[in-house]
Amino acid sequence: MNIFNFKKIASLKRMLFFFMGIFLQIVSISSTSLCQQINFHSPQNIKSFADFLFCDKDYLRAIYEYEKYLSFIDDDTIQFKIAISYSSINDQIDAVEKFKTIKITSPLYEESKIELLKSLYLLNVNSQYFTYADEIIESKSRYSINAEKIKNTSRLLLNHELPDKQIFLFPFDENEKKTLSNFYDRKTNPSYKSGIIAGILSTIIPGAGKIYTKDYSDGITAFLLTGLFTYLAYTNFEHNHSERAWIFTAAGVGFYTGNIYGSIASAQIFNAKINFEFDEGVKLFLQEKNYFTPVYDFCK
Amino acid sequence: MIFVNKKILALIPLLLINVFSQNSKQQQYEYAYNLYVQEKFFDAITELKRLQFFDKENTFSFQTNLLIGKCYKKGAKFDDAVKYFTLAEINAKNDSEYFESQILNARTNILRRANKQSERILNKLLDDSRFIFKTREIKYWAGWNFMFSNQWQKAYQIFSEAGLDTTLANLCKSVDDKLYSEKFAKYSSYLIPGFGQFYTGEYISGVLSLGWNILFGYLTINSFVEERAFDGIIIGNLLWLRFYSGNIQNAEKFVIQKNLQLSNNALEYLQKNFSGEKP
Repeated sequence: MNIFNFKKIASLKRMLFFFMGIFLQIVSISSTSLCQQINFHSPQNIKSFADFLFCDKDYLRAIYEYEKYLSFIDDDTIQFKIAISYSSINDQIDAVEKFKTIKITSPLYEESKIELLKSLYLLNVNSQYFTYADEIIESKSRYSINAEKIKNTSRLLLNHELPDKQIFLFPFDENEKKTLSNFYDRKTNPSYKSGIIAGILSTIIPGAGKIYTKDYSDGITAFLLTGLFTYLAYTNFEHNHSERAWIFTAAGVGFYTGNIYGSIASAQIFNAKINFEFDEGVKLFLQEKNYFTPVYDFCK
Repeated sequence: MIFVNKKILALIPLLLINVFSQNSKQQQYEYAYNLYVQEKFFDAITELKRLQFFDKENTFSFQTNLLIGKCYKKGAKFDDAVKYFTLAEINAKNDSEYFESQILNARTNILRRANKQSERILNKLLDDSRFIFKTREIKYWAGWNFMFSNQWQKAYQIFSEAGLDTTLANLCKSVDDKLYSEKFAKYSSYLIPGFGQFYTGEYISGVLSLGWNILFGYLTINSFVEERAFDGIIIGNLLWLRFYSGNIQNAEKFVIQKNLQLSNNALEYLQKNFSGEKP
């Protein structure tokens, strides 16, 4: 009897442990499964996703996600990233607005100033841009030298007088100095062609003006055609074919005067090309240097 | 018995965790799909990218890439669409998914006029024994590809093959009948200057071309007859040959222009009036 009772108690104990096990499982399941439900819109997840978009260069979506995150938590780094995103998609107006919101207490305050300078340059608002560049240079902050570099380089794009070469090149390092020195020389002594000289040359020898402006094929064609029509006019006059002779004379005069006018225009086109290539070169240099802005490790 | 139950009990939480996590991803996918249906393509792509970002097991890789591709396709960003259809193809888990992504890729290539690319994809599918039962569908898109590459004769042949699509076959036939022959225009202009222009219905241009060639031809020949060889060479080279070769080039140009116009009109008609499936 006692043995029977003992077995019964042991069986009941096992049953009790079994149901307790089920109970504990249910509790753990409900808690873990709730944890496993992905909350796509929790602030942390929004930020992680936005960081992914930012590093994937999907800046527009990154901006929307960062803005959502900011509605939960105020964060200067995120404000800065939004501004960088606007700048990257070339929305410089919004970039400027965002960079201006970075507080002085933020660790990215200095960076925001140099980035703001870059945005102002890209916005092409010269007066504001140069004033702000001077402000950064005079503040003797971490990026004053960068501001001086971008300011000096962009001065090459204006039609104002440049400072002395040594002063101009002072902020740049040795490698940059080589390129900037070349730009400086090309700006101060551009290899322009004179329209008057081109015109005079073509008056003396048809096509010579065009050759002077390095338009060789046009120069040779003009020389040959003018010569040919002159010859045809001459021989026709000689053989008393006056009607034909006058037609060839008109054609020859047309080519001759047209070539003089064309040579002057060719010199102007040549000079415009020189200016265009110079400006493009300077802009490309600035772009390659990323406008002397720092490199960030947001995507490491 | 209890030992067996313990094993089952150990499995239950794992299964349920997975089910719950899948549910939230499924919900996210459905949310994105609804945005796609509402034609909010930008938002749909954002939500699909969000799902991809959190779907570490790549369970939804095929669906998300395919739907992102469709969004870009609807927004006429065909290059991006092709990129995502290719990603969908890489993540396809079975033949049906592979086929769907490939067909969408081919259709997008038709739209962005990358006809060689589209042809390559469709030919690959035609040669694949797994998709023998899909031959009609593949050929249907091959026909569209021919239409978009202005090969109306080939398009007609493929659509009329086993009655694939009689409406499209008839349209292709009528366009093909109206097309001008570039070779005929060119060689007829060699024989009679201006004939190519007459053939394409450009009568004024044809008359002018014929007139200039007669005039300068006469002047050139006359110069030689009157023993003014130099004049003859100059007029012949600088004027007659110039107008003669210009007449041939002009005839070819008109044929290309007219044919392009005919093709574009036919495609515009299809875009507005054809009720069947379009790329």
